[in-house]
Amino acid sequence: MKNRLKVLRAERDWSQGDLAERLQVSRQSVNAIETGKYDPSLPLAFRIADLFGLPIEAIFLRD
Amino acid sequence: MTTNTAASAKRATLFWVTAFMVGMIAAGLLIISGDFIQPPWGMAVMLLPMLLLIPMVRAPERMQRATGSASPAAMRYSRRMLAASFAYVIGFLIAVALFDDRAVSKSVAATLSLLPTLGTFGMIWAMTRYVIEESDEYLRARTVNAALMATGLLLAIGTFWGFLTTFGVAPHVPTWAVVPMWAIGLAVGQLVNKVRGA
Repeated sequence: MKNRLKVLRAERDWSQGDLAERLQVSRQSVNAIETGKYDPSLPLAFRIADLFGLPIEAIFLRD
Repeated sequence: MTTNTAASAKRATLFWVTAFMVGMIAAGLLIISGDFIQPPWGMAVMLLPMLLLIPMVRAPERMQRATGSASPAAMRYSRRMLAASFAYVIGFLIAVALFDDRAVSKSVAATLSLLPTLGTFGMIWAMTRYVIEESDEYLRARTVNAALMATGLLLAIGTFWGFLTTFGVAPHVPTWAVVPMWAIGLAVGQLVNKVRGA
């Protein structure tokens, strides 16, 4: 699944570590999600959406 | 800076894992040869490479911190595995020493067999607790993937080896080898995860 995580993170000038800390996950998790190697569960996707104040479908896009 | 730290931590992990493996194989060969060292000192030789377990556990912890995959659950897992590994070796040494020294009854032999097995219970418990306690779903998924690969590999190799033994092609392998084999499978699974970029 594609996502806009990298762009959204860059807009806020956050590093992967910053985002990981805010989501309470590892930096490796953020990297795996951002690069499309791992699709997050629905609860984590909601946490990401809440953090950016966007609906899930504005962050995660269908292939 | 972080990249340098991560690269250095990876090198240290590789070094200590290699040192541990070489140490254990060398100790095993020394004991099997039996000519140089007699019991109980032969078994005591195993203790030396076991001490390498300490840096071998600490180095991946440093690597996890440097690569951003450290988690409190992973740290607890490392420590529990270390304790269980020591329990295994100590149980193994006691069992072998007592079994070697005198002829024992079957019930005593069965009890002695349980001594090293307790350490493996500890290892299985540590792995189970890790999967339960790991709150990072990505790290958990990676571990579960690797564990499934290790289990699959063990079942496939075990079945193949069983038939090789039945048909007289390969020598018998003691079934306690399943734990180290599974651990090797886990390492292979983690390597596959890395190669696949999962």
